[in-house]
Amino acid sequence: MSEGAPGAFDEALYLRLNPDVLAAVKAGSFSSGREHYERYGRAEGRPTVLPPAAARDRVVLNADPARYVGKSAAPPGMLDHVKISSTGGIYVTGWVDDSRDKLVSADLYFPAWSISFSAASMARIRRPDAEAAIGMATPHDCGFWGFLYAARPLPATICNAVIRLQSGAELQAVITVEAMEDDELRAAALSRLAMAAYVGEHYTSAVQSLEAAIGRQLLGFNKALTQRAVQAPYVERFGRHDARYKGSVITCLFGNIELMPVQQATFAHQRGMAAYEFIYVCNSPLAAEPLLREAKLSALIYGLDITVIILSGNAGFSAANNLAAQYARSLRLLFVNPDVFPRGADWAARHDAVVEALPAAQTALFGAPLYYDDGALMHGGMYIERDTAPRFGPHGCAETVALRVEHYGKGAPPDTRPYIRPRPVPAVTGAFISTARGWFESLGGFTEDYIFGHYEDADLCLKSLQAGCPAWLQPVALWHLEGKGGARAAQHEGGAIVNRWLFTKRWAALAAQGLLGPHPSHPALVVAE
Amino acid sequence: MKILIICMYHPELVHGGSQLMAHELFQGLREAADVEPFLLASADHNSPAMFKSGASITGFDGRPNEFLFLSQNYDYAWDKCPSVPLAEAYANFLDLLQPDVVHFHHFMTFGADYFTLTRKVLPRAKIIFTAHEFAAICPANGHMRRRTDGSLCTQASPVRCHQCIPARPPEHYFVRDMWMKTHLTVIGRFTAPSRFMIGHYAQWGLDPAKFMYVPNGLDINAKPIATTARRKRNRFGFFGQLVDIKGLHILLRAVALLRAEGFTDFTIEVNGDNLHFATPEWRAEVEAFLAAEEILPLSKRNVVFNGAYHHGQLRARMARVDWVVVPSVWWEIFCLVISEAWAFGRPVIASNEGGPAERVTHGKDGLLFELGDARALAETIRRACTEDGLWQSLAAGITPPPGRAEMVQGYLNVYAETPLPCQEDLAQ
Repeated sequence: MSEGAPGAFDEALYLRLNPDVLAAVKAGSFSSGREHYERYGRAEGRPTVLPPAAARDRVVLNADPARYVGKSAAPPGMLDHVKISSTGGIYVTGWVDDSRDKLVSADLYFPAWSISFSAASMARIRRPDAEAAIGMATPHDCGFWGFLYAARPLPATICNAVIRLQSGAELQAVITVEAMEDDELRAAALSRLAMAAYVGEHYTSAVQSLEAAIGRQLLGFNKALTQRAVQAPYVERFGRHDARYKGSVITCLFGNIELMPVQQATFAHQRGMAAYEFIYVCNSPLAAEPLLREAKLSALIYGLDITVIILSGNAGFSAANNLAAQYARSLRLLFVNPDVFPRGADWAARHDAVVEALPAAQTALFGAPLYYDDGALMHGGMYIERDTAPRFGPHGCAETVALRVEHYGKGAPPDTRPYIRPRPVPAVTGAFISTARGWFESLGGFTEDYIFGHYEDADLCLKSLQAGCPAWLQPVALWHLEGKGGARAAQHEGGAIVNRWLFTKRWAALAAQGLLGPHPSHPALVVAE
Repeated sequence: MKILIICMYHPELVHGGSQLMAHELFQGLREAADVEPFLLASADHNSPAMFKSGASITGFDGRPNEFLFLSQNYDYAWDKCPSVPLAEAYANFLDLLQPDVVHFHHFMTFGADYFTLTRKVLPRAKIIFTAHEFAAICPANGHMRRRTDGSLCTQASPVRCHQCIPARPPEHYFVRDMWMKTHLTVIGRFTAPSRFMIGHYAQWGLDPAKFMYVPNGLDINAKPIATTARRKRNRFGFFGQLVDIKGLHILLRAVALLRAEGFTDFTIEVNGDNLHFATPEWRAEVEAFLAAEEILPLSKRNVVFNGAYHHGQLRARMARVDWVVVPSVWWEIFCLVISEAWAFGRPVIASNEGGPAERVTHGKDGLLFELGDARALAETIRRACTEDGLWQSLAAGITPPPGRAEMVQGYLNVYAETPLPCQEDLAQ
């Protein structure tokens, strides 16, 4: 076939009309266009002749386009990592240029099991390295990552990984699985959430990542780790063993115990502090030796009664404090961060006076003005703000809502009366909370769904408000060297994103009922000046 | 009355002013009526041979009532000893000894929290703290000399301390300050050998009413050095530790300036040791100067390095010089060298700040020059060498320095005047 000569096969024309065949011949897959035509082309109805010469300035169909859908070559991409933890956390990352052919799923086939991460369940992120490698001029979220908690051990060393696209194109590779501990996998996923680059605004995009499935999966995974960490803690008591106390000072440590001796010294020199016990709950077993040593020294030097609780892993602020509360031997719990110190020599007496003299409703749960080392106010209670951002998708525009808590008076002069006056507030920081033990227990303690720390303090306060007693700010000022009690890593930032998302889900509806802004109109918070 | 003297390092093991004074006091108290003194001096990795397996406190060289506290792993960032056995041994030691007075001459190598531990074990004891420098205030070796520019510091603060030691954030120094002041609350009486120090501590926040001034006193046993009729008084001596703050480099730079001017008719005798405690930069400058001097013909040398000296050699070393130069570049709290010089009738040429400025009266018993100014020192040296009658006038103006007996009586007065801990403190 040739142009104008029916029946003759024109090799050059066939290759011109079928560029994918030309590429395959050049790649050596076929010895000639004729071979391709005989083996496949004829059956596929491939064009072999040019359209009429008059057919110009318009699209000319040489064959049925529908036959070619799904026949295109797969776009560039790869599955980077498959990480599986000991109790069945599965974390997968990769990228694919699906700017024209949409990602459908990432499927993993193991010897005894398989899993398919749908594109809808996975987070989409930018991959600047991939964009550079394929010369992508326009930013595109070609990266993806997924997380799933199977809650059972999964044998795995290698897997067949298949990235499927809407066209039917596939990318396939054999991947060596990276086995890791559960807390390492949690750190990897949360770090990815925090450190990822997005096409849109960071927080809104990260929340979008959580919405479909990852958020729920991470919470479930974290809950399992938390429950395991608080099981069978190591507990050692120093000092008296049979005493009753006015209060139990509970401090949650995350591995850094450097400030603990100073905290002990400053509290111990308070008049009346002998009526308090101290409970240190430590989320890092690595800190056990120095913590026990310092507790022993404190008991010797200051005569304080100290209980040390060592957890087998990081249970986070909520679960660790809830557990510590169970070991308290008083009816008043004081949750105190390791970077918080009493301000003034009569702090214990002032705290006693507040608890003993004020109505129970004002002391069921209260915080205090906190101060930076430079003398400025750091905290005068907390209020709630609501942020919104548009989210555009195939079905139109939606709104992403995120609640945020802010401190009253952060950085203000120390004596700014409106911020430090006793009053009910939407929330107080977990850096210092004094609460009646019975009330705390009736609220179910801190909500343990939150990862590591952040927002569980405001959550507790809103539970209290919902139950009829808002948090109060009372005049028992302390120093707070915010953020100096432990180092923050990327995984903690990731945890904070999850927590904000969770806090929003739990409290957006209540917050809308007069709790938003620095001057909330909620009747429980309105008192005379 | 049982009195326990506590000091950082035993002076037989590590030279230093505070331990020397603590030991002098201990010796002096032995001669006081109705007093039974004890000494607890620390030793650390600088004296590894002193350590005995499993021991925390031991005796010292067969000397009655002298004990070593075998400090380990001291945390200089927090001024804290992290060892539980050491703290327990110390508490047991106090419990056994039951002193009426515990007199700290330092807290380093023990820990600031040992003040509180002392109060806990001995609720009725009088606790005295003698500040020999500003270690409680200043984390930069207690010198209150800014590492940023070498200027003298008059006020510690979280930001200023962070500027001197940037490895820690300002909050660290805020907390360190709390740590120190918290433990210092148990001190019944503070003493300082110089009056200007009390102002520094008061500005830092301590109650000046709790301070007493007790000058350091040495049992020098100085036999007078025969005065020769030499007309020239051009021999100068440096005595002390060879570390940055003692300012030997200022003296050597002054020598270089005088040489450059062609004035070479003088000698400088350098006496001291502990060069290994100096910073590498400072040590390099001093060693380079001394090495260059060493290769000059004897007749061309202006500087002679005599090395370390023992107390018993002091007279012989003093006899070689007419003047004693104190070119310190920090506050120089009391300056025992001034006492030593005066004990042997040697006028002093000193920096015009801190202890020397408080003790030396310019033109009466010595000469002062601008601290850190090598040219001012060079001019002073030239004047000392060339001004007829100056040496004789200043030597005649010297007042004998306080001796050990006066110091001991001063501290006995402190012990007597320190009130017993009040019931409120005990309840706490």
